[in-house]
Amino acid sequence: MAGIDIAVTGLGLVTPGGIGVGPSWAAVCEGRSGAAFDPVLADNPVRISCRVPGFDPEALLTARRAHRLDRFVQFALVAAREAIADAGLDPLTWDGARVGVVLGCADGGPGTVEEQHHALREKGADRVSPLLLPMQLPNMLAGQTAIEFGATGPNLVVATACASGATAIGTARDLLALGRCDVVLAGGSEAMITPLVMAGFAQMGALSRREDDPTHASRPFDAERDGFVAGEGAGILVMERVEDARARGAHQHGRIIGYGATADAHHMTSPHPDGAGVEAAVRAALADAGADPDDVQHVNAHGTSTPLNDVAEARMIKRTLQGDPLVTSTKGVTGHLLGAAGAVEAAFTLLSIEHELVPPIANLVMPDAEVDIKLAYSATSMPIDLALSNSCGFGGQNTVLALAPA
Amino acid sequence: MLEQLKEILSNKLKVSPEAITPEATRDDIELDSLAVVELSLLLKSELDIDVSDDDLLEAETVADMVELMEKRSAKV
Repeated sequence: MAGIDIAVTGLGLVTPGGIGVGPSWAAVCEGRSGAAFDPVLADNPVRISCRVPGFDPEALLTARRAHRLDRFVQFALVAAREAIADAGLDPLTWDGARVGVVLGCADGGPGTVEEQHHALREKGADRVSPLLLPMQLPNMLAGQTAIEFGATGPNLVVATACASGATAIGTARDLLALGRCDVVLAGGSEAMITPLVMAGFAQMGALSRREDDPTHASRPFDAERDGFVAGEGAGILVMERVEDARARGAHQHGRIIGYGATADAHHMTSPHPDGAGVEAAVRAALADAGADPDDVQHVNAHGTSTPLNDVAEARMIKRTLQGDPLVTSTKGVTGHLLGAAGAVEAAFTLLSIEHELVPPIANLVMPDAEVDIKLAYSATSMPIDLALSNSCGFGGQNTVLALAPA
Repeated sequence: MLEQLKEILSNKLKVSPEAITPEATRDDIELDSLAVVELSLLLKSELDIDVSDDDLLEAETVADMVELMEKRSAKV
């Protein structure tokens, strides 16, 4: 949809860097890793994760709501509240019918499922909570956000595993371009750090085993990387057509000028070794933006710190973007936020454009011998006219967003 | 019995304690149909009182719920 200009007028973040855009952005710019030993995983084969520090749902949302909402919904409500305030919008006075909600998550509320499965096994079926389903269903992410803020426009949750947050933003862009609504709360949220889910990731061999040194475990593109560190959190963007944002005099963090979505059709978990699917998504996003691949100046890579992803993605970047863009991955700080990653990283990319500052790849010491691209070893000041945020999910789903200044 | 109900409502269902008065209706303390099922399960597990969610839905106020609890516990 070349020529469709979408502005981002509000940002909200809950990340392992902190609660709020300020603390999260400061943490990634300082390259401060959020990984640590996690007592919830004490009996697991891998016991490290990136938790949101100091997240107190009762204080942030009231005890009553905290009791009835899974953690992945709690993160989203806190991030959405920040984003809406940042956009200068007021849910008490807005025309809710013109406000959509499009959010992504990989798994919904596994913490609630595990707790209630335990109740089933230990106490019996008649002791399972009636809140089991309304708390854990993935679509509750958008449903509860609508309830909280009175947004009665289009409302959906997308699932493309670890690309979900980015796919939600792309879908929101399409809804705005088609005129289905005037404002969209778009992004992703995830709270998957549970014993069962983390056992599953460990059995796949996907997780870093650097348990003796958790703060250096997530190290995208580094030769010594050995897997990802799971994180949790949410990223929410307020998106509007540029002319609407201008008409109400709203501040714009930047624009979403292109969206590309493809599938590898290759393997259930492994990325295509040459990154063919994500290359197609990059090309689609840039065609959507009406931009030349060689004009990309900055890439916020998927960069998970897994052996397979980082080499395949680096090869793809080298081959596809000939303008030698500066590449970062903020997962060195946040860990892998799974279904929230694409949204949180789109927000970081917009902040890079707005502040002309690319955050460093935390823990990058010596790049993998097969990685031959320009990597951000330290925070780097630079004006950015065109940036990409890449996201890839299990199942081979790829989403790329093209981002530009206001 | 009122005190026991208050404790369950505030500690387990996280209803704000100041809202829980004998005259308070289910709406006043935000007990929807889901929360009523939770309350029924808790009355059984915490106090060993059998009150179904259907019965609780017919109780208009906290005082009515207490009356129901007293009747059912007297039977035991």
